[in-house]
Amino acid sequence: MKKNLTPAAVVLVAAFAFVAFTASVKPPFVSSGPAYAQDDWKKEFDDVCAGTQDAMLFDPEKLKELVARCDALEPRIEKLDGSQRKVMLKRLRMCRDLYRYVLQSKEGN
Amino acid sequence: MGLVLRLFCMLCIFLLYSIPATGRNKPVPEEYGRVIIDNFSRRAGLAPVRFDHWLHRAIYTCRLCHVDIGFAMQANETKIKADANEKGFYCGACHDGARTYNESKIFPSCSTKTVKPEAGKRCTRCHSTGTNAEKKLEYAAFTAQFPKQTYWNLIDWEKAEAAWLVRPIDFLEGVSLPRRALKAQKDFSIASKSTWMPDIIFSHRKHITWNGCEVCHPEIFPSVKKGAVPYTMLEISAGRYCGVCHGRVAFPLNECERCHTTPVAR
Repeated sequence: MKKNLTPAAVVLVAAFAFVAFTASVKPPFVSSGPAYAQDDWKKEFDDVCAGTQDAMLFDPEKLKELVARCDALEPRIEKLDGSQRKVMLKRLRMCRDLYRYVLQSKEGN
Repeated sequence: MGLVLRLFCMLCIFLLYSIPATGRNKPVPEEYGRVIIDNFSRRAGLAPVRFDHWLHRAIYTCRLCHVDIGFAMQANETKIKADANEKGFYCGACHDGARTYNESKIFPSCSTKTVKPEAGKRCTRCHSTGTNAEKKLEYAAFTAQFPKQTYWNLIDWEKAEAAWLVRPIDFLEGVSLPRRALKAQKDFSIASKSTWMPDIIFSHRKHITWNGCEVCHPEIFPSVKKGAVPYTMLEISAGRYCGVCHGRVAFPLNECERCHTTPVAR
């Protein structure tokens, strides 16, 4: 019985040490929390613009859909105040323009 | 007449590129990529902001600031205001007094509330152009271990990253969108317009690591058809296309061989 317990104990101690170590190591950049309110326009923005990395993998239909969703989102962002409006409009336009660019590139080919 | 004109053009090109090489316009490494931001500072009774790319690009990717935070690629185009920083936009996205880097709090940026005279040091950490304000991180010490480029002793960021001396952060909690690793397009060649200059090998891999897609397309490179735009060194020198970054923040244009890399085979 004792012989069987020893490897199990070693595994448990190793697991505990690993968990304790990973919990103690902080990432280089620690966030203070979200800078944007998580309302519905933000959710839609995140959903639409999270795909810019994969733009080249999307087919033209998908790209058209994403451009249309960006266009639909723009008036909602236009209604935001001050700096949030300015920043988010710029980000939305960059995202939409990239999808348009890839779409034109694919249609041209 | 044609020969004279051709010789004159060649002489102009030679002079254009030899001027910096003589050292007359040689940039000081510490000042390379420096942006003086002066949209509203003087009106507020403050010195213009001195923004050093060498410090920020060692810590963050280009994309984090120029896509996620929304800084324009042209100096003074963003028109950053103190209240925007205070609300957590632009500089205030990181400089909010709460976020940390390497377990140290990042100092807060602007406050529109009245600051006591002794708190003025907070303002002068950024509003330091033309002042003797002390910087917490000095160029020489900060970059001492970084590999340097062939000309002008500027930092070779590509080698610095390859040697793991810099690992720029590409995600800001609450600001950035979660991103999958981007699969690079294949490298492609761009024919040189001169018979004496090797063709260019453009590496998407080298560029997407820090920039993603949106930094370059379509704002800087709007053409979707390869070869449709005849890029010239004159336009690039004037700050268009590659010249938006190269010659200002990324390696300068006199490092010809870093782009013109293939042997001439004509």
